[in-house]
Amino acid sequence: MKAKKRIGFILRHALLAILAFIWLIPIFWLVATSFSASDGLRYSRFFPEKWSLRQYHRLFFEPDTVANYPAWFKNSMIIGVFCCIISSLFVLMVSYAFSCMRFKSRKSLMSFSLILGMFPGVLSMIAIYFVMKMLGLTNSKLGLIIVYTGASGLGFLICKGFFDTIPASLRESAKLEGASEFTVFTRIVIPLSKPMIVYTVINAFLAPWMDFVMAKLMIRSRSPKDWTVAIGLFNILQKTLIGQYFAVFCAGGVIVAIPISILFVIMQKFYVEGITGGAVKG
Amino acid sequence: MERFLAGIKKYFTDFGEAVAKGNIWTKLSLVIIGMGYIGAGQVIKGILFSIVQFAIFFFIGKYCWPYMLKLNTLGTVQREYTLNPLTFEQTVNKFDNSLLILLYGIVGIIAIFAFILLYISNMKAVYRVQKMKDNHERINSFAQDVKSLVNGKFYITLLTIPSIGVILINIIPILFMACIAFTNYDDKHMPPDKLFTWVGFRNFKTLFTSNNVSSFGYVFGRVLLWTIIWAVLATITCFIGGLLLAMLINHKDTRLKKMWRSLFVVTIGIPQFVTLLLVSKMFADHGIANTFCKDVGILSLFKTLHLLPKSATFIPFLSKPGWAHVSIILINIWVGVPYLMLTTTGILLNIPNDQLESAKIDGATNFQIFRKITMPYILFVMGPSLVTSVISNINNFNVIYLLTNTYTTTNMKFANANGKEVDLLITWLFSLTNNYNNFKMASVIGIITFVICATLTLLTYTRMISGDKEEVFQ
Repeated sequence: MKAKKRIGFILRHALLAILAFIWLIPIFWLVATSFSASDGLRYSRFFPEKWSLRQYHRLFFEPDTVANYPAWFKNSMIIGVFCCIISSLFVLMVSYAFSCMRFKSRKSLMSFSLILGMFPGVLSMIAIYFVMKMLGLTNSKLGLIIVYTGASGLGFLICKGFFDTIPASLRESAKLEGASEFTVFTRIVIPLSKPMIVYTVINAFLAPWMDFVMAKLMIRSRSPKDWTVAIGLFNILQKTLIGQYFAVFCAGGVIVAIPISILFVIMQKFYVEGITGGAVKG
Repeated sequence: MERFLAGIKKYFTDFGEAVAKGNIWTKLSLVIIGMGYIGAGQVIKGILFSIVQFAIFFFIGKYCWPYMLKLNTLGTVQREYTLNPLTFEQTVNKFDNSLLILLYGIVGIIAIFAFILLYISNMKAVYRVQKMKDNHERINSFAQDVKSLVNGKFYITLLTIPSIGVILINIIPILFMACIAFTNYDDKHMPPDKLFTWVGFRNFKTLFTSNNVSSFGYVFGRVLLWTIIWAVLATITCFIGGLLLAMLINHKDTRLKKMWRSLFVVTIGIPQFVTLLLVSKMFADHGIANTFCKDVGILSLFKTLHLLPKSATFIPFLSKPGWAHVSIILINIWVGVPYLMLTTTGILLNIPNDQLESAKIDGATNFQIFRKITMPYILFVMGPSLVTSVISNINNFNVIYLLTNTYTTTNMKFANANGKEVDLLITWLFSLTNNYNNFKMASVIGIITFVICATLTLLTYTRMISGDKEEVFQ
């Protein structure tokens, strides 16, 4: 019995190790290529012939007419920070209104926003592009921020689920003491929902970093200065450029991936420990 | 349904009562909506409401009305240049821009609709104030009204700005795009040089028919079939894979659970446009995966299995139909399993422990526990979210577009309709607009996609809204 258990134990870990290895192969390749001395795509060897930090130097200190990573990173950062602030605020506001307040059209508004969420994003994207073009906001950071944050109020479901679990008695006793709804929102509900806020904020920050389609549609400029990280990295992989820029692409990928992976490892706690679990458990 | 109709009836009878029984100030509100408040002593509120009314009138009259008049034809005067023979200057005639007409027309209609809603609810409010005044009740001063916006009416403060955002970024574009499906807006009718106009259901007919001129019907069938196969397979494979992986990691004998989990989470942490582009280069026709397969002998194995012709020098992972379909689903397992692993882990940890314990005491084997307790529980909790993830896979743009952006089709029928064998409805729609300016067909495809998604959502609708237990914890 014991020997059987031991074999099971070893097999289980061996299987996990193999799976983890498979899952990490592309990541290894990304990191290895980013430290390669040669610029292009490797076809025959997994690891580069010569290692060097050249690609990172090119990435940060040698912006040229095609690749201008510092500018891309700056653009993405500005967009990310503003989106993060605005969408988090929107989500928290809408969630509070729907979860903690009772008013006449509440249910119908909630159903309506669920239905709105069913439209394929790409369908409205093209129209958003027209609207933004008429407002003269394509190719601008402001335009992208508006596009990313505008409809963010619709993403209230998870946050509202969390607010639903805060005991109503807390809010009521505060109101008995003379607190207004505004005070209840800022002094009671917000401090009690710290984990939810961390989750919302990280999500809101990540969304524009991970997005590709919207940026591709909105940013038509030929000047690399206006691109975001996603557009820039996509553009330097075009057929004519890939030979010179593939390793730079990898280095750029590694640099974006580091902060985002860290945020994700922080976030996994929320997934696992039941924000989503709590929301569906009800 | 009956309650809904009764609600609508009450909505209008209340309005009628307010009009009929109102005093002179209330009746004046029919023309200038703030008058009723002024009559009841709420002067500032009355003035503010009247200003809003005039602002809306001004906006509609100045910006929308000229366009709305042309909505029925979407413009009749095409842009023409005339060369002035004396000054050699080019002058442009006063032309119509169909796109602007449609857009401002929709904005105008929404503004008018919003005003009517405001108008009716305002009449009722004015009537209420009048009644309060007649009964000598205390009427809120302006300061008190403002104060209620952070208290009893806080929800108005909270919801106003997000709603404006949703109207701008969501509702107006959706309506606009839906209208385009009924016009002939394509590369031959591009404003501002050309006009487009209404064509009724012609585009829908094009999408469903196939003949010598257009092959949209054929391509639509193929793309729809692949979209459905993809959505179902991608959901099921990732679900099973994620569940198995989560159970493997969460097994009581597994050491270093956190580390294993983090190793997989790292792959989500890298943005998809990096990983997917990278993987697409790895599996390119002459990429590193092909070199590996050749060296190890997989290429010749496939040849002896007659999966590839004798002359093949590489495996067309992402460049031939069939091969590409399989590769995409396999690569998607790589993309999706870590996500599912995370969510199922959360659910696994939430399974009521007493059930597992008592099953064990009764002598159930591990497999029986899995089949009779764990699996039903997970399906119960995740059932609705499986349907949602089918929907999000139907709309999964990134995986398909980033993996196959270098794919070129050799099938003439696909090429005619600007599609590819590996396209989903959503990527087909995207390339139709982004590369070929075929907005009318793209918009039709968008509507069809919506209908599919909406039907699927209706299946889970009852569980998502009616079955919500929001007050259980409160």
